[in-house]
Amino acid sequence: MHTHENILQFRGVTVRYGRLTALEDITLDIPCGESTAVLGGNGAGKSTLLRSILGWQALSSGEIRVGDSHPHHARPRLAYVPQRHAVDWDFPITVRGVVEQGRYPSLGLFRGLSGADQERVNAAMEELGIADLADRQIRMLSGGQQQRVFLARAVAQGGDIFLLDEPFAGLDLFGSEELVHILKNWEKQGRTVLAAVHDLALAKACFSRGILLDTSLVASGPIAEVLTTANVDRAFRQGRCVHGDVHGGHHA
Amino acid sequence: MSLHDLIVAPFTYEFMRRGLLSAMFLGVSGGLLGCVLILRRMALMGDALSHSLLPGIAVAWLLFGTSTTALFFGGLVAGLLTAIGSALLSRLTRVKEDAAFGSLFVLFFGAGVALISKLPTRVNLADFLFGNVLGVSPSDLRLAMLVSLGTALVFVLFRRSILLETFDPVYHRATGGRGSLVHMGFLTLTVLNLVAAMQTMGVVLALGLFLLPAVSAYLWCDRFRSMLLLSVGIALAGSASGILLSFHAGLASGASIVLCLGAVFLGSVVLSPKYGAVTALRRGLAPRRHS
Repeated sequence: MHTHENILQFRGVTVRYGRLTALEDITLDIPCGESTAVLGGNGAGKSTLLRSILGWQALSSGEIRVGDSHPHHARPRLAYVPQRHAVDWDFPITVRGVVEQGRYPSLGLFRGLSGADQERVNAAMEELGIADLADRQIRMLSGGQQQRVFLARAVAQGGDIFLLDEPFAGLDLFGSEELVHILKNWEKQGRTVLAAVHDLALAKACFSRGILLDTSLVASGPIAEVLTTANVDRAFRQGRCVHGDVHGGHHA
Repeated sequence: MSLHDLIVAPFTYEFMRRGLLSAMFLGVSGGLLGCVLILRRMALMGDALSHSLLPGIAVAWLLFGTSTTALFFGGLVAGLLTAIGSALLSRLTRVKEDAAFGSLFVLFFGAGVALISKLPTRVNLADFLFGNVLGVSPSDLRLAMLVSLGTALVFVLFRRSILLETFDPVYHRATGGRGSLVHMGFLTLTVLNLVAAMQTMGVVLALGLFLLPAVSAYLWCDRFRSMLLLSVGIALAGSASGILLSFHAGLASGASIVLCLGAVFLGSVVLSPKYGAVTALRRGLAPRRHS
């Protein structure tokens, strides 16, 4: 299923919200089977880039292709993991209940989860090491475990391209290390990971490629080449006031 | 008073049977809708929506008399106008959606009260506001039944979309779900149920039949499905005992149903072993895990 040809292609992509330009004339290729960090300051267009791959963002101009298809037709391949703060942790739902949602898109109106669906749910929970937590309500988990529940849902869905919106936000040191470990493993298995990341040091430690945005594209390629001092200065210091060390010395 | 006098005798009256059935039908759909309302933090919006039905009902009454169909559509139009109007207001101006909703609903409610006080018949404003089980006509009962069965059917068919849209609308959308369709469908169902509940519960108290069972169930359940079922169970028990209370104590039916459901709610707040106040105090108000 995985080849190393370019699978995500952006060609002159521009996205506007009213008068505000969120992404401007982005042209780049994101290779399959590698992990890529989408980097930039607040409002640089990281989330917009992820959303436009999911096909929810009407493009003002340009085109996005996932492999040979329009994003709408590539939906089964795309597994999205939302930001942690978007989740209501008090919701009456168990770990298993969340992971089962990964199978919902492939069920019709009437069909329930089949034995095969249950197996995929179990396998996803095993893989992420949360099988023994299956019947816990989701508030009763640590931050790292909570993150793994949502990763398991994405795995159960069966896609091969994982889109993660700020997966490190709100995780403590231990949770972050755990996530770095998981994402590195996924890359070894040939899964494609595309994650919006705030923290440049974490991005360097965890991802092999980077896309640096400041509404328009500053740089993309192997992470070390993207995160040069000159590039980072261009992305973070243009027009915006940045306090402290943006090169990533302030965080784990 | 014997048990027979207490429970069976009231239902020898035709109007009591109709009132009971209508309240129980609405308990089923209200118990379901309430869960989604509170989990989506739309409880207060539902309250505002219910008040805003009044002018629609009053105008329908002025134009078409007491026809159930006319009252139903009057209320429906007023409710949808409020919902759509506040959505538009918040998009076109700097006014946020909650403020837009709040402003529109008091405006509508005020207009409704003004209209009703000018109605040419001897309509009792209190009946509109707080419900009167004596007024449940056969067509009101039919309406309650239709709305209730329709709501239950929607919940069975779209259970997964409803769960996803309530729990994680972003993921729902990412997997091809039609979030805004589910949202509009849900608002419409809420208005339909509020209008159908008006005769028994009254405009002001109708929401009690939706919210109180759901909040009570929320304090006991760790699964969405069990919360839905418990909520419906509480709504059924509360509406039946409320109708009886209203008969024996001569109270407005909406008020007595809300009082019975309120007792369950307060009991749950105190006693729930996992999420109740007593447990929390016993834990020494230990801070909850971070979110």
